Amino acid sequence: MLWTKLFENSQGIYSEGSEKAYMNDDILEDIRNGSRDAFKQFYDMYENYAIRTAKAITRNDEHAKDAVQEAFIRVYRNISSYNSTLPFDAWFYRILVNECYRILSKEKKNTPIDTSTMENKEQLREHSKENLSDLYSMIQNMADIYRIPILLKYIKGFSEKEIATILDLNQNTVKSRLFNGRNLLKTQLELLEMEGS
Amino acid sequence: MDQLDDRVKKEILDHTKDTPSALKDDIWSQIDQELFQTKSQKEKKRKSKIIPIAIAAAAGVMILFSTQTESGNAFIKQIKDMFVPEKEIIQSIEGNDEETNVNLQEGKDSNYIIYIDEDRYKLVPGETSDIITTKEPLEKRYPEVSMEIKQYTDITPQEMVMTLETDLASEYTKVTETESVSDPVEGFKLHGISGSEWNSPVTNVYVVDNLKGGSFVITEKYFLEAAEGHGARFYAMLQEFKIVE
Repeated sequence: MLWTKLFENSQGIYSEGSEKAYMNDDILEDIRNGSRDAFKQFYDMYENYAIRTAKAITRNDEHAKDAVQEAFIRVYRNISSYNSTLPFDAWFYRILVNECYRILSKEKKNTPIDTSTMENKEQLREHSKENLSDLYSMIQNMADIYRIPILLKYIKGFSEKEIATILDLNQNTVKSRLFNGRNLLKTQLELLEMEGS
Repeated sequence: MDQLDDRVKKEILDHTKDTPSALKDDIWSQIDQELFQTKSQKEKKRKSKIIPIAIAAAAGVMILFSTQTESGNAFIKQIKDMFVPEKEIIQSIEGNDEETNVNLQEGKDSNYIIYIDEDRYKLVPGETSDIITTKEPLEKRYPEVSMEIKQYTDITPQEMVMTLETDLASEYTKVTETESVSDPVEGFKLHGISGSEWNSPVTNVYVVDNLKGGSFVITEKYFLEAAEGHGARFYAMLQEFKIVE
């Protein structure tokens, strides 16, 4: 993928977890120079939300572990191709999300998820009633075109623009998917609550 | 953020929060092993190869001076003979590691060697420079894709950078600040781009000290969408660029 193109015009400070912990140029430079200590520092800063995200996307702890591990390795090996004037978090999470997709598709022996071609399949997946007994299950039963943007938005707090960058989608597409996904959740919740009352 | 947003966020975070520290340590251990322990082992292996090369070089020098019959060119040839004619490199293309066979090529006037991915590229020797370009010509709709290697024997790298900064500024709409780099070559890097379309022209220019008071100027040209393709392949080939003293 073309990072220089992806990140053009992106702005802002990208932090992992808290504003105190963010990728800075010194750490990046040290990683570029092959510093193990700097890479460990980066790992300590990013592993928590990376594991959360991978667990949510893959719905499997073991797959999440593999995805996170591989994503960090890829970051180290490809750090020379990262343009430090562009947002690091979006670059990192794009690699992580792609690793999750790769592991999922390998595991399920399906074709990789291509969110760009699924625009017309805007339905929730077929699901049993018991799968929708709580909100998290509802989210996890949604089609990936809604599920992944929602997970990125709520786990890490990524903006629509950042999600668009990570998923290589138009920002308006992300906006629309978040809006529709949220409405689907709202409807499902209302139905559940009506049935429960 | 309204109530639903708060609820969604809480649900997701609650369901993903339990990551035992043992798992985090385990992941790091695997990463560490893959990246740093393996790397150390490779470095140890690489160091052990220096000795035979040094012996071969010493032998070459001895032959040269003992017989006094071999020309300087023959000596250069002898040094080049120390490089394997073909080898496999691992290059990162669009985030994936790709094993590629590359072949030894001798640069203009035997001043450098480089390994070329001959499945995709060819080296075209010119009057004043060598040009590495695609083996098959690109369609007309694509901008130029090439990597030119040219030596300026009487212009130092610093002087060359100043000239190139001016040249690039007149040719490209956006030129980034010149930086010192150690990869893919040791020297200076200049970067220029015009636009943000898929076919916007991009250039990377590397200036390398020729160790004789002059410079090698390596000019990569491709287009924005080819950055992770041709750009990455040029980068990998350039890592194999060696000046023959």
